[in-house]
Amino acid sequence: MHQNILMNIDGLDRADLPRVLSELPFGVAALDGERRTLFMNRALEGLTGYSTAEVRGVPCRHVLRGSFCLHGCPRTACPGAEPCSVEGTLINRHRRKVPVRLTSVPVLDRDGAFLCSLDVIEDLSALKDLEARLSRTAGPGQMVGRSAHMEHLLRILPAVAQSDATVLLTGESGTGKDLLAEALHRASPRARESFVRVNATPMPEALLDVELFGQSGGQADGGGARPGKFQLAQNGTIYLSEIADMPLAQQGRLLRLLDEKAVLPAGGDRPMRLNVRVVAATNRDPEALVHAGLLREDLFHRLNAVRLHLPPVRERGEDVQFLLTHFLNIYAAKFRKQVQGFSEDALNQLSAYDYPGNVRELRNMVEYAVMVCAGEQVLPEHLPPHVRLPSEQGSSPAAARKSARKKA
Amino acid sequence: MGRKILVTLYRDEVSPRFDLCSEVLLVSVDATGHEVRRQDLVLAHSSADDLCDLILDREVSAVLTGGIEEEHYHYLRWKRVEVVDAVAGLAGEALGKYLKGELASGDILFARLPDA
Repeated sequence: MHQNILMNIDGLDRADLPRVLSELPFGVAALDGERRTLFMNRALEGLTGYSTAEVRGVPCRHVLRGSFCLHGCPRTACPGAEPCSVEGTLINRHRRKVPVRLTSVPVLDRDGAFLCSLDVIEDLSALKDLEARLSRTAGPGQMVGRSAHMEHLLRILPAVAQSDATVLLTGESGTGKDLLAEALHRASPRARESFVRVNATPMPEALLDVELFGQSGGQADGGGARPGKFQLAQNGTIYLSEIADMPLAQQGRLLRLLDEKAVLPAGGDRPMRLNVRVVAATNRDPEALVHAGLLREDLFHRLNAVRLHLPPVRERGEDVQFLLTHFLNIYAAKFRKQVQGFSEDALNQLSAYDYPGNVRELRNMVEYAVMVCAGEQVLPEHLPPHVRLPSEQGSSPAAARKSARKKA
Repeated sequence: MGRKILVTLYRDEVSPRFDLCSEVLLVSVDATGHEVRRQDLVLAHSSADDLCDLILDREVSAVLTGGIEEEHYHYLRWKRVEVVDAVAGLAGEALGKYLKGELASGDILFARLPDA
C-alpha cells in the first residue's frame, strides 16, 4: 500500500536522494555489493570524522570501524532482503569509541535486483549515558554481597529507599554504613537533590549548632546569614554518620526538627520549614547507648523507624571469598596486573582471619596483595605480614586471634 | 640497531580495530631497514590491554594499526612506541610504505572511486 502511494508521487524517481539523505539527523551510508563506501551523509561524516570524498570506494569496515564489522557483519549475518540491526561500537578518526546501532537495509529495484545497501547508524552515546546514570541511581551502588543477610538487605533496599521514613543504620566500623546511606539516597525519589553527610565531631556546642542548623542574619558579631547542613540538604537526605557523638543539646533540637519539620537557625526567631530525610548511623549498640545516656531515648525511637543492620565480615560466611574475588578483579584491572586468583594457602589464611576492620580492611588487604603480586596467583607471601606470620602452634596468628575472639 | 614493527591483522589487511584484532604480524628489521624475521602471532583473545602488554613485552618500536582508542594510543606513545594508526589498506603494502618512510597516520591505501 505504501509503495502504491509513493508510486503516485509524480517525479519521485528523479528526487535528489543524496541531498535528502544528507539532511537526516542520523548517519546514513550507501554501500555497493562488496560493501565499499559510495556515499555518507553529513551526520555520518561528523560521527566517523571522514568525508565521502576521502573514503569513496573504501571497504566500510575501514571507515566505520564497527565492532560488528569484524565479527558478524550485518549483511553477512542476514544476507536476504530483510533489514538487519546490530548494536556495537565504532572508533572514529578522533580515536573516540562511540556506542552505535547499525541497521542495514538492502535497496532493490522493482525487479528485485540489488542496487546498493543503505546502512543507518544511530549514535547511542546519550542513551548509554542515561542508562548508566539510571543504573547508578537505582542500583545498590557499590554494595555487594551474596550471604543471606546481605541478599535480604539488598532486596529490601529499594522499598526502604522509596519510603520517606527515618532510617537508623547499625554495624561495626568498615561494614559499609556510609555506602548504604548513599545507596538509600540514590534509590529514593530525592536522588536528584543533595545528599549531605554530617559527622558530629566534638566541637563547641554553639559552633555545632551553627554548623547543623545555620545562622540567621544580623548577628551582633557581624556574621551574616549562613545555611546549616540541614538547610543544605533541603529536599534531599541528611546523613548523620555517628549519631551518638552528637551532644545531647543538639539531639534535643534534632528531635524537635523530626517532630515539627522545622528548624530555628542560631540567633533567629522564625523557624524555617524543612523537608529533609534523615538517615543516622552508629557503630555501637543503640540500646546500650540509650542505657548509657549517650543517646536520647525519645530520639532513638524516632530514628529507629526503619533499622538496617550491616553484619561484620566474620558473620558473612561465604561473602569473604566473594568479596576477595570482587576486590581482586577491581584492583587487578586498576593496576593492569594479570592476577587471576588466590592460592589455596593464601585463601586459607584469608578465610581464617577475622577482619576487625571489616570490608574496609579486607579491601585494603586485597589492594596490597595485588600490588605486590607479580604472578597470576596471590601467594601467602603477598599478604600483609599481620595475616601471614606463622604462630608457635603452627596455625596463623589470624586463626589464633579468631579462636581467641570466639572463646571470649 | 634492529627494531621490531607490529602490524595488527584482519585477514590480509591492517585490522580496522586495535582492540578487536586477534592476529598480528611481528617483523624484525636490521639497522638498514631490511627484514630479518617475520612472525604471525595468533592471539588467545582480542583485548587492547593484552595487546599493549605484548607490544611492550616484545619490545616493539612501532605499531601499524587501524582505529585505536585514545587511551591506548597515549599509553603506547608514553611508553615510547611509535603508533601509526587509522591506516586502511593491505598489511604488506602498509609495512612496505612504513619501511620506506612513506606511511603516516590516517593513510588510506585502498583504491578510491572517482567522484560521481
